[in-house]
Amino acid sequence: MSAVLLPILPPLIAALAVLILRRGSAALALAGATLSLAGGVRLLAGALDGQAETLLLPGLPDMPLRLVSGPMTALLSVAVATVGTFVLIYAIGYMKRESGQARFYAVMSLFLAAMQALVLAGDWVLFLAAWELIGLCSYLLIGFWFQRPEAANAASRAFLYTRSADLGLYVAIFILIGSSGTSEIAAYLEAGGSASTAAGLLLLLAAMGKSAQVPLQDWLMRAMAGPTPVSALLHSATLVAAGAILLIRSATLLSPEALFAIGLVGGITTVAAGVIALAERDLKRLLAASTASQYGLMLIAVGAGVPTAALLHLLAHAAIKSTLFLAAGDFQHAREGTAFDQLKGVGRARPWAFAGFALAALALAGIPPLSGFFSKDAVIAAALSGQGAAWLGPLALAGTLLTGAYMGRALRVLWQGSGDSRPVEGTGWMRAGIWGLAIPAAGLGLAFGPLETILDLPAPETAGTVAIVLGLVAALVGLALGWLVPVQRLLGPAHQWAESGLEVAGGLTAWIGRPAMAVARGCDRLEDHLYAAALAIGHTALSIARGGERLEQRLYLAVLGVGRANLAVGRWVRSGDERGIDGLIFALVAGVRDLGARARTLQSGLIHHSLAISAVATAVLLAILFSASLSV
Amino acid sequence: MGRDLALIIPEIAVLLTAVGALIAEMLRQPRISLIIAVIGLVVGTGLTLRLLGTDTTVFGGSFRIDTLSIWAKLILLPATVLSMLLARVDVRGSAREGTVYSLLIFSTLGALVLAGAGDTMFLVLGALLTGLATFALVAYPDTDPATEAAMKFFVFASVTTAIMIFGLSYWFGASGSTLIADLPSMDTMPLAVILGFVAVVVGLGYKASLVPFHFWAPDAYEGAPLSIAAYLSVVPKIGALFALTQVVRHLPPETGWAAVMAGLAVLSMTYGYLAALVQDNVIRLLAYSSIAQSGYFLLGILAVGSSELALPSIILFAAAYAAMNLGAFAVAAIAGRTLNDFSGLGRSRPLIAIAMVVFLLSLVGIPPLAGFVGKFLLFAAAIDVQFTWLAVVAIINSALSLAVYLRIVVPMYRGGDSASVELDAWLGFVVFATVAATFIIGLGAQFMIVRDIV
Repeated sequence: MSAVLLPILPPLIAALAVLILRRGSAALALAGATLSLAGGVRLLAGALDGQAETLLLPGLPDMPLRLVSGPMTALLSVAVATVGTFVLIYAIGYMKRESGQARFYAVMSLFLAAMQALVLAGDWVLFLAAWELIGLCSYLLIGFWFQRPEAANAASRAFLYTRSADLGLYVAIFILIGSSGTSEIAAYLEAGGSASTAAGLLLLLAAMGKSAQVPLQDWLMRAMAGPTPVSALLHSATLVAAGAILLIRSATLLSPEALFAIGLVGGITTVAAGVIALAERDLKRLLAASTASQYGLMLIAVGAGVPTAALLHLLAHAAIKSTLFLAAGDFQHAREGTAFDQLKGVGRARPWAFAGFALAALALAGIPPLSGFFSKDAVIAAALSGQGAAWLGPLALAGTLLTGAYMGRALRVLWQGSGDSRPVEGTGWMRAGIWGLAIPAAGLGLAFGPLETILDLPAPETAGTVAIVLGLVAALVGLALGWLVPVQRLLGPAHQWAESGLEVAGGLTAWIGRPAMAVARGCDRLEDHLYAAALAIGHTALSIARGGERLEQRLYLAVLGVGRANLAVGRWVRSGDERGIDGLIFALVAGVRDLGARARTLQSGLIHHSLAISAVATAVLLAILFSASLSV
Repeated sequence: MGRDLALIIPEIAVLLTAVGALIAEMLRQPRISLIIAVIGLVVGTGLTLRLLGTDTTVFGGSFRIDTLSIWAKLILLPATVLSMLLARVDVRGSAREGTVYSLLIFSTLGALVLAGAGDTMFLVLGALLTGLATFALVAYPDTDPATEAAMKFFVFASVTTAIMIFGLSYWFGASGSTLIADLPSMDTMPLAVILGFVAVVVGLGYKASLVPFHFWAPDAYEGAPLSIAAYLSVVPKIGALFALTQVVRHLPPETGWAAVMAGLAVLSMTYGYLAALVQDNVIRLLAYSSIAQSGYFLLGILAVGSSELALPSIILFAAAYAAMNLGAFAVAAIAGRTLNDFSGLGRSRPLIAIAMVVFLLSLVGIPPLAGFVGKFLLFAAAIDVQFTWLAVVAIINSALSLAVYLRIVVPMYRGGDSASVELDAWLGFVVFATVAATFIIGLGAQFMIVRDIV
């Protein structure tokens, strides 16, 4: 068996085992994730030695499915498995009181397997299949508490939003395969020009849906109705990351126009989502908006032509954001909710979780020597030096400033107030999960130097002093503002608008929800019409049949008439006293009458009618072919 | 002579199996009859494997041992075995149980004769052999609906077969030979070619239930035992479509036969799915769906002779169609005949429900299932011979078919709790086997094409 399968198969087997055994589900899922991590590490070690492995599986004619292990895919695979493992450890504690454990762990394992397949996919068909699978899994997980209307609603909304954007991926893949002639992802576009621009814009659309970029950001905040481990996995290493991974992997295929659009969307998102995060009154929703904002920064780096910087920020963000979410889940258990009013001062009561949260928050803001400092510097340096620096530079800096501000605000809420708490079950597991991720969140930055050298992508320029100083100043000012100044004063009149999620013209409900419903209603109406048409055809057929039946009755009467005539002849003949013939004729008449009646009962269906149609059709076929051959 | 007999050993094995099953029934041993039937057909399949790659004719060119007829055996013999396992549930313990198995095998033999026909007389022989056995099978339950359905089926078959024989007599008169391979010798007499061709389309089209020769099918499927309906929708149909392929291989293209095929394909696909959209009875729905699927076969048939893809696409789609259609009927045998019976199946029988979803998605043509590969190749074959518009119509129809099949899927997962359904072990086996085949064909298609096996 090829080593490329090692990260994918264990979680897949774990998902099946959980479904079949229905006991020990947490242990099975955890074992699957751990083995997947081991497989990923093995791939990475192989990739460091320069062995790129490729596994071909049978697929479409001339388009085999392929799994590829290179430096980048192996690195992402390790990141996915690491986050998955610690989130599952945490979930053991978090989900202790919940029912439906088997369902939860089975879907989480399937989610991990699908994400590993997506990360390692070497061709577009497999990528697409994995992409659809993670969409399905996230739908199931966000709607885990499907009894609660807001959870079911949020799941449908997430599905609808990401699905409608997925159409872009389908068309883009058609264009890519059509213009390059192969489904391999690594293949460079030879056609270039308009095809590559169109494909790039469509890929951007798909990534915007999954990575919640403006204006498709709304579903991410609502998806908070799911369990917290799900949010942690969704935001850091799986669903939302898939959009950014798509763009990072295809960055080398895209034309400058498409790259510019990507950078612009990222820039707008990082600012808009940052403002939304600042105005949120719920910790989990704040973190969700922050996710959109951070993926905006990654898109800026891709747009500036330095996908390596985006990849580094993706890795740092995966560790940081999962830590933040897991800590938020701890607070949620302590106070029965995540609204800021409920959370005041909870940090004093849960010092371990708060310490992890604070470490990750400072890392996200970009304080040295934590990981976020290095990755954010790479992004800012890319934005200041790459193409479109006049636009992207200021937007990236504004995003950094906003990151500091909302993290400062969150820290203040959690720290100030009275420190009482309810007793929390499963604290040990949850603490292990939080700290297992907080340590890489803090220290990952030290590994960035070696990582850059092994990735076979255009290396980012070394961050100049200007970028470092500007980034650090923005982060510190942001933190100070967030801690010291109340948010209403900070945002002024824009506060209320930001609180509503910066809805434009009725929000996305008006842009996606209503058109989708209109299409659905249209289909419904079409089916009604079709039904009516079919009924009408049926009625016409029936009336034709009735006509046929009437004709047949006449015929029957005629037969009877003949019979009667025969009878009369018979009587006449009998009068001639020829008794033998008389009896024969009588029997014949009775026989004819009997046959007629029998035929009538047999004709209860419409077989004469359907045979007539077949005969007419035969005649039409003959006529067409004859006329064609005569005209030749 | 010895060589010829050696090449038709699988057919001989099938014939002996049918006779053996009949003898066991005469001894009032229906169980043994079933065992003989299953073993005989499996042996027949095994004997066929040896022939893979052969391309020759026997008995003076009147019967062909080529890719088409070999794959007909590899597809239809296992399909018949699965149909017999389905039928066992329907007829177990009834009088004359063994005759059902015997008749099924005779009918399959007829389908094999059709699929390998190299002579017009074999077309007639095959049509009669499948026809006579299936009339009796439809009438087997001895109820009013079954008798009526069998009667309609019989009348329809008599008329269409008579038309076919009438048309074939023109071919014989014009070419002086009954061999299909001699058709090109009639180049100077296009009208005779056309007359015979239309007659063959009528005679085989009724068996393949192509619109407008399909009228008997929904009634017969509904009146017959469910297992017989499943069989009718697969074995005689594939036999007839393969026979049509054997005939059109030798037709001169100037006659415009491909355009007629395209027209029938559009009619069958569109009418089948539209009619299926308004059915509440699952069997009638599947009947109309199988009419529509016949239309898809025509996309490959009209490319025969001009495109390399034509034969592989027809064979692969036939295998895929046999697996998914038998599977869907097997699930209907478990759940029930109306849409209401399916409500809540997702909860009471989750595995069976998942299997049904697999079959229906495969019928729609969604990757990586068998139906997708088959349709993909059929579309490619049609585009290959400049019938792009037809491929577009077929793709639109596939989208329409999603609405048809979702009508079964939705109640399975939305409806209230249905009473738990009894599950016969053999039915479960049939469902399992067909699900496995649906996946294996879907994933293994590339392998088979690359290795030049189909």
